[in-house]
Amino acid sequence: MIFKEIEKKPTEYVALLAMLIAGFLSYFLFDNSQVRRWIVYGIGILYFCWSLYHHYKRGDLQISIIIEYLLIILIGIIFISGTLF
Amino acid sequence: MLKKIWTHYFIPQERNNHRATILKPNFLLFFLILYILNQSVIKTLIMVKPGILGYSSEITYQKVLEQTNNERKKAGLSALQYNSTLSLSAQKKAEDMFKNDYWAHTSPQGKTPWAFFATAGYKYSVAGENLAKDFYNTDSLMKAWMNSPTHKANIVNTKYEEIGIAVVNGTLGGIKTTLVVQHFATPLVAIQPAPKNTTKQLGAAVEPEIINEPINEPVLGAVPQVVPPVDAVIGESYISNSKILISPLSLSKILSSIIFILLVIVLFIDGFVTIKNNTHRLTGSTAGHIGFLIFIFLLMLYNQQGSIF
Repeated sequence: MIFKEIEKKPTEYVALLAMLIAGFLSYFLFDNSQVRRWIVYGIGILYFCWSLYHHYKRGDLQISIIIEYLLIILIGIIFISGTLF
Repeated sequence: MLKKIWTHYFIPQERNNHRATILKPNFLLFFLILYILNQSVIKTLIMVKPGILGYSSEITYQKVLEQTNNERKKAGLSALQYNSTLSLSAQKKAEDMFKNDYWAHTSPQGKTPWAFFATAGYKYSVAGENLAKDFYNTDSLMKAWMNSPTHKANIVNTKYEEIGIAVVNGTLGGIKTTLVVQHFATPLVAIQPAPKNTTKQLGAAVEPEIINEPINEPVLGAVPQVVPPVDAVIGESYISNSKILISPLSLSKILSSIIFILLVIVLFIDGFVTIKNNTHRLTGSTAGHIGFLIFIFLLMLYNQQGSIF
C-alpha cells in the first residue's frame, strides 16, 4: 500500500529515510539536550525542504499542501519539545 | 450513525473529499492547540498549586538509597551508609548546575565534583559521582545506571562506604527537569592505618588515595526545588514534593503519544484506502508523514528513559 507511493519516487524516499536515520543516530551521539533540540529542529526543516522538492517535482505544490506539512512538522517539534527536554 | 461519524473521521471517502477528516489541516491545528492548552494548564497548576503537580512523580532519595543498596546486596556487597554531609555535597552540585546552567561533571568554570565534597566539609579517601535527569521513577533510573558500566562501577564499588543523594527539580536551559545526584565516598578516617611507624606511611594514608577514581561522569540537571537529602534538613518542601501524585511530564507524554499513535494509524488507513481505490488527490505524502511522525515518536520513547551522566 504505502510502498506503492514509495515505488513511484524511490530516490526521494531513500533520501528521506537516510535523513531520518541520520537524525536519529545524531540524537544518540550527542548527549546534550541543547544539541538534541537543534537536531530535532534541523530534521523538521529538512523534512519541510524535502516536501517542497517532492511536490514540486510531482507538479502539485500547493499552499494547502505546504500548510499540511507545516502543521505536521509543528506537531512533531512542539510535542517533542514539551516532553523531551 | 456512530459508524458514519467514525468512518468520516478515520476513513477517506467521498463524503470527506477522500481524506480522513482527522488528517485535515483544521484537525491538525486542533491537536496542536489541544497540546499547547494542556501544557499551559500544567504550567499554571505548577505555579498556582505547586503541590498538585511536580516535575518528578516519585523519585525520592530514600528510594534511590534503598535500590542502590539492593543492587549492592545482589552483588554480595555491604550496604552504603547514608551520610548527610555527602547529601549536602550532592545538593550543592545540583544547585550549581541549575545556577550556572550546565549539565556535566565539571562546571564551565572548571569546578570538579570534588570541590563540592570539600565545600560540604567531607574528607574522603575515595569518591565518585553519578548523575541523572528526566526520569519518572526510581526503577527506570536505577535500571539506566545499572546498564551503564561506569555508573554501575560506582554503585557496586567495594571501596565506598557512604553515600549522599540529592533529587532536585528545576529548570536547566529553560527546560524543566528532575536531577538526581549520587555522591559516593569513604571517609578519610576510615582508611586502614598503615602498619607501624614511619611517618611516610602515615602520611600516605592521610592523602586521598584516588581522588578522581570512579567518578561516573555527571549529568546535568534542571533547576530545582526539592529534595534534599540531609537528614537534618528534611523539611517541609521535601516532604510535600515527595508526595506528588502526578507528573506533568508523564501527562504530556501520554497525551502526545495518544495523538501520535492516532495520527500514524489513520495515516496507514488513509494510505491503504487511497491506493486500493486508486484515488488521486492533493495532499501531502502519507509515507513521508508516517516516517517523520515515527521518527519523532521513537525519540520520545527513547527520552522516556531520561539521561545519565
